[in-house]
Amino acid sequence: MTALLFYVQASVAAAIIGLITSWYDRKLTARIQWRVGPPFLQPFFDFLKLLGKETIVPAAASRTTFIFAPLFGLASVGVVAAILMKQAFYPGTSFVGDLIVVIYFLAMPPAATIIGGFASGNPLASTGASREMKLILAYELPFILAIITAIIKTGTIEIGQIVSFQAANGSLALSLSGALALAVGFICMQAKLGFVPFDMAEAETEIMAGTFIEYSGPLLAALKLTKFMMFTVMPCFLITLFMGGFSSGIIPGLLKYIVLVTLVVLVKNTNPRLRIDQAVRFFWGPVTGIAIAAIVLAFCGY
Amino acid sequence: MNPLLYPVILPVLAGFLCLFLPRRARGAVKGVAVAASAGCLVLTTLLLLNKPLLWETGGMLILRLDSLSGFILPACAFFTVIIIVYSLRFMDGKANLKQYYAYILWTLGAASGVILANNTLVLLVFWGILGMTLYLLIELGGPAASPAAKKTLIIVGGSDALMLMGLAIVWTSTGATGMDKISISATSGWTITAFVFLALAAFAKAGAMPMHTWIPESAETAPLPVVAYLPASLDKLLGIYLLVRVSMDMFKIAPNSGLSVFLMLAGAVTVIAAVMMALIQHDQKKLLSYHAVSQVGYMVLGIGTGIPVGIAGGLFHMLNHAIYKCCLFLTAGDVEYRTGTTDLDRLGGLARYMPVTFVCCLIAALSISGIPPFNGFFSKWMIYQGIVEAGKTGEGFASRLWVLWLIAAMFGSALTLASFMKLIHATYLGQPNSRAGTRKICEVPATMWLPPAILALLCVVFGIFAYAVPLKWFIMPAVPGESFPGFWSPGIATAMIVIGIAIGALIYLVGNVGRFRVDEPCIGGETLPAESRITGVNFYNTIMEIGLLKWTYKRAGNKVFDLYEQGKRLTFLLSNSFSRMHSGLLPVYLAWCFLGAMLLLFIIARAAR
Repeated sequence: MTALLFYVQASVAAAIIGLITSWYDRKLTARIQWRVGPPFLQPFFDFLKLLGKETIVPAAASRTTFIFAPLFGLASVGVVAAILMKQAFYPGTSFVGDLIVVIYFLAMPPAATIIGGFASGNPLASTGASREMKLILAYELPFILAIITAIIKTGTIEIGQIVSFQAANGSLALSLSGALALAVGFICMQAKLGFVPFDMAEAETEIMAGTFIEYSGPLLAALKLTKFMMFTVMPCFLITLFMGGFSSGIIPGLLKYIVLVTLVVLVKNTNPRLRIDQAVRFFWGPVTGIAIAAIVLAFCGY
Repeated sequence: MNPLLYPVILPVLAGFLCLFLPRRARGAVKGVAVAASAGCLVLTTLLLLNKPLLWETGGMLILRLDSLSGFILPACAFFTVIIIVYSLRFMDGKANLKQYYAYILWTLGAASGVILANNTLVLLVFWGILGMTLYLLIELGGPAASPAAKKTLIIVGGSDALMLMGLAIVWTSTGATGMDKISISATSGWTITAFVFLALAAFAKAGAMPMHTWIPESAETAPLPVVAYLPASLDKLLGIYLLVRVSMDMFKIAPNSGLSVFLMLAGAVTVIAAVMMALIQHDQKKLLSYHAVSQVGYMVLGIGTGIPVGIAGGLFHMLNHAIYKCCLFLTAGDVEYRTGTTDLDRLGGLARYMPVTFVCCLIAALSISGIPPFNGFFSKWMIYQGIVEAGKTGEGFASRLWVLWLIAAMFGSALTLASFMKLIHATYLGQPNSRAGTRKICEVPATMWLPPAILALLCVVFGIFAYAVPLKWFIMPAVPGESFPGFWSPGIATAMIVIGIAIGALIYLVGNVGRFRVDEPCIGGETLPAESRITGVNFYNTIMEIGLLKWTYKRAGNKVFDLYEQGKRLTFLLSNSFSRMHSGLLPVYLAWCFLGAMLLLFIIARAAR
């Protein structure tokens, strides 16, 4: 029961932090582009506004699937948020699942989006969703390799033990292999969040938001919220895995988070969109190469 | 009579009864089949509860029921019931109905024999009978299935020869034919050969590479319930049972030993190569059949670790695979029954017309892709732990290879998800095929949706209550001494997901989702012509075009990697060179005879000297 309560708290917290992060993203983007940017509460208003909008379901859609797919993504990102938050507050404990479980749960929101896009019956959504699936295939390989580096360094697949290991021996990112793995993880995070240069699944200017094209009103609100929560959860995941977690106190943890988010926003604002085949080549080529180098270095003890 | 004989004799007798009933008595044939298989299920469950059981005769232990065979036996009977119930409607009106049910029941009898056999000769005999019934069942698909049936017979029958060799070597080195008395440490060249031969026989049955090629071939043409019965579920149970028996009981496979690396390499290659082939298939049955190959890789990986949790994971995956793959094939059968095709290009948008089938297929697809909290995730998770643990034992290069196996397994599951997304899109979601006339399509009759629904329910139950039901009753007794280095509580996670969805539903309620408006899809103001439908068949063509993959796919398309095709080429090469000598010219034959006589004379003369 306490676990479930914790889950609700973690989900709500992740949602709120995610909305704040999205404000930070928009503000920073605006400053980069010499604009003023939105006020602090703008993402909250946007979310509430979406709840008040009319829901439109396309005629060709498989209705139930179309409507419920976003909720599965929302629910599973909450599970990851709960697992990570447990490590932030009670480092070293076992809760719900280990590293492998988290990897699989992190793949579920994109999968839910894909199924929702498929269900809409819109050809553009199908195109977007198929790109999303190919993108998953592309980044999943180096992402798993980066995580294996952490498993090699710490010798465990339990997140709690990985955090304790780092508390005793210093962050993984301080070693050469750990730093490389973190870099790989960062690039994969950019793709997992669907940000430029890896936003080909949405590509507003080309396929009109792709997977999201038919979503409106509260359904879109749920999808957006999932995205914002992922925006919180993914940096926290990398921090927990490679940067020593949040056990060292509120201020250092927050700083790590802000640094990662800022980097994501900077990359997003200074790059053009890749084509999907370029992205696959990029991830299976150089990024996987770096990840393999990290694994070899980890085996050699660096 | 010893109770262990019943599960072997009962289905065989029932099969003969089916065969000898008059042709008009279709109902009686069906009744006999259902009653016999259901009786077997009850009987084997009772046997499981009373294990261990033995049957000795003539001073030899012939049949034995222990913890390992105990749970596989009722599983075989269970799948037989499912398939027979499904066939009641699906096979209606097909020719050779009596033979069909007879062969299915004989298969069950022979399978029980294989699983119970303790004597290696008994095992071999039943194994051979299984190959025969498999051939006969595929052959029922009509003339189109003949080449596939022949291929199956050659590969599976050929692997019987390997098994005979392997068992012969075991017999000469230990002098024992009872499996309970055989315990070999595979160190010498002969014992390693024996193990490899036995493993290859198991691979051929289960469909691991390089002995897999009969599965995709037969899946296309054989009657669908046959595919769902044998390659998808029963052959997995049997092949993996043999592999576990061989590598756990008869031989002791140590982690990171050479044989462990051999098994895991075969497993890893199977996982990746087969799923890559599945990714580009255009036919639902063929796509599923490649997954039936790919998933064997996971089981072999798990068993190859030599770590209890890995072996248990492999066994659990075997059980799970049989459940969800059987379910997937049955849903494919539902689609075929209603639309008359399994070609992904011609399907689409069926979710609205066949909701139960769609939900079953979705659950099974998520299970096979390893999405938590379903059963496929649980067994994969156990296998991953086995792989990581195997890396911790021992030193040297072999103990570092676990990284490769882990990547193959985890990336393979992403590829699995991708190919099932394609299947789901092309069949159930996406745009309906306007030319196929989807209006007439409705849900299949109850005897056809109930079997996959039961299997889908099992996917959920075995995933969420994994510790309480399947592990406790089936897997843990069979593989003693397992411990979980990782952590996963599916019950809490499921409760969380349910609550998360409830919260999400609350958001929907606030937003008044119930009063939605239906409108045409937005394609940016364009009107799409009906024929420019996206079916999803070409989703992954961009991936096919990448460097090395393009080269490999091209060769795989030409069957360069097919052992059977290469063997066929070699055989024909040899036989052609011989047949060329038969020119029909008398002088040439006379010359051969003369040369032969000369040679003979020379040898005799040398010997006489």
